[in-house]
Amino acid sequence: MSNFALEIEELVKIYRARRGGLFGHDSAAVRAVDGLSFAVPRGTIFGLLGPNGAGKTTLLKILSTLLQPTSGRVRIEGVDVVAEPLEVRRRISTVLQETAVEMFLSVRDNLLTFARFHGIESGEARRRADRVIELFGLAPEIDRKVQDLSGGFRRRVQVAKVFLVNTPVLFLDEFSTGMDPILKRAVMESLRDEAARGRTIVLTTQILSEAEDLCDDILILHKGRQVARGDLNTLKLLSQGVSEVAMTFDALPVDIEAEIARLHPLRSQISGSTIEIALKAEEGGAIDIVGALAKKGRVLHVEIRGASLEDIFVELTQKV
Amino acid sequence: MSAITAILYREGKIRATNVTFVFWDFCYPLFNLLVFGVGLTAAFGAPRSTAGVDYNSFFLAGVLGMASFAIASNSSWSFFLDRDNGIFYEMLTYPMSRAEYLLGKLVFNVFIAVAQALLTIGVGAWALGIRLRFDLFPVLGVAIVIGTAGWFFFYTILALKIRRNDVFNSVTSALYFVFLFFSSMFYPLEPLPAVLRRVAMANPLTWEIDLLRYGSIGLGNPRHLVVEAGAFAVFVAACFAYAVHSLNQE
Repeated sequence: MSNFALEIEELVKIYRARRGGLFGHDSAAVRAVDGLSFAVPRGTIFGLLGPNGAGKTTLLKILSTLLQPTSGRVRIEGVDVVAEPLEVRRRISTVLQETAVEMFLSVRDNLLTFARFHGIESGEARRRADRVIELFGLAPEIDRKVQDLSGGFRRRVQVAKVFLVNTPVLFLDEFSTGMDPILKRAVMESLRDEAARGRTIVLTTQILSEAEDLCDDILILHKGRQVARGDLNTLKLLSQGVSEVAMTFDALPVDIEAEIARLHPLRSQISGSTIEIALKAEEGGAIDIVGALAKKGRVLHVEIRGASLEDIFVELTQKV
Repeated sequence: MSAITAILYREGKIRATNVTFVFWDFCYPLFNLLVFGVGLTAAFGAPRSTAGVDYNSFFLAGVLGMASFAIASNSSWSFFLDRDNGIFYEMLTYPMSRAEYLLGKLVFNVFIAVAQALLTIGVGAWALGIRLRFDLFPVLGVAIVIGTAGWFFFYTILALKIRRNDVFNSVTSALYFVFLFFSSMFYPLEPLPAVLRRVAMANPLTWEIDLLRYGSIGLGNPRHLVVEAGAFAVFVAACFAYAVHSLNQE
């Protein structure tokens, strides 16, 4: 048996052009996944990153048997997703990007129904549900119907479900949407525990710090193609020469935005009297830039760092 | 099998925890019979062309047909709700085949249809004096099960093919009107103008109701009914095949 939980070879997905007909509008053909090949070892937390429209969700839909690929081959735990979709479904659990919950059922019944679909006997399902209810702080809402809960709680219920089952592969599409930081941290800790027990976790996220904290291995996608792949250190090597500068002024200088624009940064952000810019510059160059900007006003705090995942992401996706 | 029992568990939980659903599932056809049937019997008595059969007896099969049609319509609406709140797509990643998913929902619908038919027939016989043909009940049972399946698959196709809520509502409302009123649900076809009669005779709901009427009170021509039963079986098979195909494309 292969050591890989996921094996993807020359995967292509083209959405055909559609005629809108009487009630819709026409759409052109889209090549959402364009010749992807990669493999993910068991027990890995694997991050799929990319800007909107990069093909992440399409890829996850193919992996979770919701979509058929146009060409190429995908195996999960050695099972082909096209030839044996039911066998694949027995090996996966999925958190979709949209909030997916049983609106008319209580929180408890949501959990128990999910467990039943995965063939877990009711006594065992109740025991597991109790553990998950505690982990996700769902006890106060346990008997309320999900339609009466806030969006954040609905998302909790959705993510909680996948901790009830022991499927070897777990797909999470933007799992932390709507979660408060404390819960998010607890869930991330639990995901690490699951991976340590040998489960393979594939996640997409727009929050790059989340991927930086959690993922052992990251694939950056752009327009359906792989732009980079590796752990955080490998990706940082791809982006050598990028520096991140953070400066806090006593009061934000009036012409600072124009000054920043002249530096052609990879990204920039101004919040209050603090500026954050990422730009192509070795350490010496970054110090010169700080010196120049410091002449614009009274500086309270300065920090120069190497590239973050966000900088790498922006640089790599802009290159393509 | 565990996938189908899981679907039954899910659907049962959803229905059992909502009083409105329970009312619609069990009492809607009975109330139709009691209110509409009794009112028209008082107003018109026996329908033309069906001498010896009062309107309550005639309308019983119409009510049962209406029920299977309404169950399917409500069930397809639940597809829409499930799709809106995302659970539909998540369920498609659960360990079950598309056919098991459809079959589970169908078994639940058949259970509801049989339960409400028993209630409606029982109250109809007891309170309205409808004389039932118990020897033909096997025909009635088959007609209820196959009728429910046919409309379930038909409406599943609509729910899967139509993506927009407003369009779905418009289409189903129009179909409700066409199928119900151009059929033998409310009145016998013989006195109708020729054009309307032809349309009604081509309506699968007429085929189902004629079988239900024969199975419940023995009214109808067996040779004609055999043709209608064959046509309805083809309708069910075609709808099933296309419903599975549509679900596989989701």
